[in-house]
Amino acid sequence: MNPLPLTNTVRLELPAIHKYLNVIGACIRAMLDREQGLPGQESLFYNIELAVHEACTNIVEHAYAGISGRIDIAFTLDESLRQFIIELNDRGQSFSLSDVVAPDLSQPQTSGYGLFLVNQLMDEVTYFPQQGNNRWRLVKNI
Amino acid sequence: MEINVRSAENVKILELAGRFDTYTADTARQSIEQAMAEEPANIVVNLEKVDFVDSTALATLVHGLKRSRELQGDLRLCHLQQSVRMVFELTRLDRFFEIFAREDEAVQAFAR
Repeated sequence: MNPLPLTNTVRLELPAIHKYLNVIGACIRAMLDREQGLPGQESLFYNIELAVHEACTNIVEHAYAGISGRIDIAFTLDESLRQFIIELNDRGQSFSLSDVVAPDLSQPQTSGYGLFLVNQLMDEVTYFPQQGNNRWRLVKNI
Repeated sequence: MEINVRSAENVKILELAGRFDTYTADTARQSIEQAMAEEPANIVVNLEKVDFVDSTALATLVHGLKRSRELQGDLRLCHLQQSVRMVFELTRLDRFFEIFAREDEAVQAFAR
């Protein structure tokens, strides 16, 4: 894999609490606003924001699970591949993505939509579990 | 999140504004439960001014939907912004909620 072009990378470092996850959307919009001619711009922004928000919510609730911690986020615009790449790092508990049960969409659910939405909204979702240094890689083709 | 509660024709209307997510969902949940305290549990949630919903917001509305139907009422939605509607479609929740374009349509539907 080629190294990411760091000149197009913006980093955020957030406390792992729900209160400040609203910062993520502003960063995504500001970066993608610099790109000309993105189709379906508003829904594209929303989809990426919601996917990153849900991944961060998972980190807050499961990786840290009530313990204070931080989330490192790197947003990279790869102009040659026309991809927007988001990498999330946490130092909490790992989990197995394959153990996550998909929601039963034939009935309304009161939980389980979060990771389903991440997978639906992004083109690539990869989770690299390593106790104390977990990494998510989310990719959206733009 | 701001929540304005009104009544019309035996229906409680909750007008939500702002971001409906894990951080604000508890406020919405409490307002929905308070609105269902008086029968009939007929609720319209107006989402015209809600520009973001996450999975916790969906779960909060599903909980309200199930509870209202247990109480012989219903929880209906109106004025979904396009991006918000997309989330309901992805999760297929648009099949379980009655969703109306306008608030008055949602209120009048309870009279049928």
